[in-house]
Amino acid sequence: MKKITKYFKDEFIFRMNSWNFISIIISLFIFMPIFMIIYNYNFQSDNWSHIKENLLLTYLSSTLYLVLGVCIVSTIIGVGCAWFVTCHNFYGRKYLEWILILPMTIPTYIAAYSYYDILEILNPFFNWTRKNIGIKETIMIENILIYLIVIALFSFVLYPYIYLSARASLLIQGSRLIEAANMLGTSTDKIFRKVILPIIRPAIVAGSSLVVMETLNDYAAVEYFGISTLTIGIFRSWFGMNDMASALKLSTYLIIFVFLFLATEKFYRRKEKYNNIRGNRHSYSRISLGRKKTIIVLILCLIPFVFGFLIPVGRLLTWLIYSNINLMDVSLWIITFNTLLISIISSIVIVFFAYLINFSKNYFNNDALKKICHIAILGYSMPGAIIAIGVLKLNSSISGIIPLIIIGSTSGLIFAYLVRFFAVAWQPIESSMEKQCASINQASRTLKIKAITSISYINFPILKKPLLLTCLIVFIDITKELPLTLILRPFNFDTLATLTYDLVNQAQFFQSSVPSLLIIFISLPAILIINRQVISEN
Amino acid sequence: MLLRNLKQLLLFNFIFSLLLGDINVYTHRHYDADKKLFAKFTDLTGIKVNVIKGSADQLIQRLQSEGEKSPADVLLTVDAGRLVRAKNLGLLQPILSNKLIENIPAIMRDSENYWFGLTVRARVIVYAKDRVNKSELSTYEDLANPKWNGRIVIRSSNNIYNQSLMASLIEANGTKNALKWAKLVRKNMSRKPRGNDRDQARAVASGVADLALVNTYYIGLLANSSDKADREVAEKLNVFFPNQNGRGTHINVSGGGVASSSRNKIEAIRFLEFLTESENQKIFSESNYEYPLDYKNTNDQFFLKWGKFKADDMNLSILGERNSNAVKLFDIAGWE
Repeated sequence: MKKITKYFKDEFIFRMNSWNFISIIISLFIFMPIFMIIYNYNFQSDNWSHIKENLLLTYLSSTLYLVLGVCIVSTIIGVGCAWFVTCHNFYGRKYLEWILILPMTIPTYIAAYSYYDILEILNPFFNWTRKNIGIKETIMIENILIYLIVIALFSFVLYPYIYLSARASLLIQGSRLIEAANMLGTSTDKIFRKVILPIIRPAIVAGSSLVVMETLNDYAAVEYFGISTLTIGIFRSWFGMNDMASALKLSTYLIIFVFLFLATEKFYRRKEKYNNIRGNRHSYSRISLGRKKTIIVLILCLIPFVFGFLIPVGRLLTWLIYSNINLMDVSLWIITFNTLLISIISSIVIVFFAYLINFSKNYFNNDALKKICHIAILGYSMPGAIIAIGVLKLNSSISGIIPLIIIGSTSGLIFAYLVRFFAVAWQPIESSMEKQCASINQASRTLKIKAITSISYINFPILKKPLLLTCLIVFIDITKELPLTLILRPFNFDTLATLTYDLVNQAQFFQSSVPSLLIIFISLPAILIINRQVISEN
Repeated sequence: MLLRNLKQLLLFNFIFSLLLGDINVYTHRHYDADKKLFAKFTDLTGIKVNVIKGSADQLIQRLQSEGEKSPADVLLTVDAGRLVRAKNLGLLQPILSNKLIENIPAIMRDSENYWFGLTVRARVIVYAKDRVNKSELSTYEDLANPKWNGRIVIRSSNNIYNQSLMASLIEANGTKNALKWAKLVRKNMSRKPRGNDRDQARAVASGVADLALVNTYYIGLLANSSDKADREVAEKLNVFFPNQNGRGTHINVSGGGVASSSRNKIEAIRFLEFLTESENQKIFSESNYEYPLDYKNTNDQFFLKWGKFKADDMNLSILGERNSNAVKLFDIAGWE
């Protein structure tokens, strides 16, 4: 107890200043919606024993299959492509470098919709097996096929997360290692297994934890293909059975899933500090490939692009022709404008807060803030729908004090995005600030340079690039966001994502191609800028 | 137009909507017919209709979380069960309107005037013309017959239409029999449930199964789709109304009620009344192939083609009361 009082005195009274105080308040506020849910947690649930008995195992196993499958397949694709494109020299490498990142613009639900009839195509095959092999066996085959298809679908649009981080890591560290290994006469295959893989493992884990989170958060795609994941269970018990307690219990399982992945990531991140070898500034040495190998590599690397981008976009474009939608329709462009505006504003707000809190933490080195700020990044591990409810609950309990701010307004939506995507901005800003500004901040504190001067004139110019990059990543995430926007959108307010969902719900697949394509085209420039930055960083 | 949207973005829209006496509608109905009707209502009365679309469950959660301060005036859903739940959660208020009572049959509205049905849908069997003889079909209960082994497709039990059908079966046959039914029907399915009603119809057309349970309007939408493949699907199918010799075919309503937080009660009542007027009922049914409230006397060509049918006259409030029981039975039966 004495220890705690002393800690409290030290950290909260002696070392507290307005920067730390404001940062702590903001962190706590970002955590509030999640707190509201926990606070309102009713441990009494009539349905829990029923769920545990009949459903939990299905939820857990299908989530596990899906997450593991997507994780493995997207890691193979992402790492493989990064390895070939970064460390080899062959015809078409430059183009591949660019097109491999494009599937990132496609949300999982649009990928699912664009392949919506893939199982129907297989119907003749199933009819044949039903007659010749048996109904039970057919159901089993179909079930396995559905998993394989959904895993492939998710992997083909999510692998860029791993591809990007693996490539960034390879660009920094690969060249010299390959040179060294080459000098020692090691075979390429061995270089990859013994040298490259261990070195970029932290980057892989970082990328795949994003993939895991995206997979867990998906609702629309798994619902369409009939896979009962935990997220489906949460929706079903909360919205369908009106049983929040069970939904929360299920989301604790979800959080455990996420936590496991985050913990491994943290573990490897810590390790990364020791093996960060900076490459020389001179040209990057790559392994040259012969003609035969070039063709094989080209084909292999084109597969994810074809299935993750070309086919979905191609299909959407063909639907566009049939959609007979009026492109001059003002409301469509207003929705596009809405989407752009809210994504831009929100991403700037999110990056601003992440920057501010990171700076306070880095500059003043306050232990209390260091501990508290981590609760603000919990939002990313929660399904969007749960955060939405948390925001609504928060609103109804504080609207006596701050009236009208959240209900039915876009500011509420922006706040919800802040809660959900704060972690996306937090992690890159944290790591680049630690790498590039830690010692400068220490020095400027010794020199008694004011914090406000430091944050705006010293840190900002150094971190301009990573801040912009982070902004773009958050921007893309918000443009694609669906479940949260669906619940919290104000009156007569649609984003491209919600419009897509509405149209698909009415089975107007042709019409839905228009907003889907717009989402993709809006994200494209952002993705291309990110990619250029990753390349030019070397 | 652009200016109006900017207003929204600047968070004034909520204040505006309060000042102007517009009505704010939370709706699960996402059909073009609704858009037309709302515009017509505005033309007629000068009352603007602001809309938030979403699934009924999420809208109910939203209403609940917003509490007394909710801006909602009207809640529209596509199922009576959800309306009953909204009533039980205190999200609706009773209203007095002779017009509504006059226009809506008693089983399709709340006995205490909390909610009101607006359109009718029947859950029917569709079967492949070339593989099933009409004489083989009889009742919902008969779908549990082993003769249908590997010949049925029905969507997931997450879906409220199935839950309501199950609630009606519990009411008619008791919990034990309903559970047995669900288990046997699940066994008879030719694949794991997935997709929506339209996908079930497609599956029957392409030979995956011989019959499916779907809501009537899906067949209407398929038959009149701009997509040729959809029309071909409808061509291959016939509609059968089950339980005609017994209690009648299971029906459900999409309907609405006035939110308990409504500040524009008079306008909201007027809005509901407007939707039940016979000419507007026609717009509902014609553009979305739902039955009007007065389904018995509809003379729309499309419905006549299916023939008249006898509907189960069970009070639809029961669908709400038995909903959670229905969901649990599905879970126990292993019907995903």
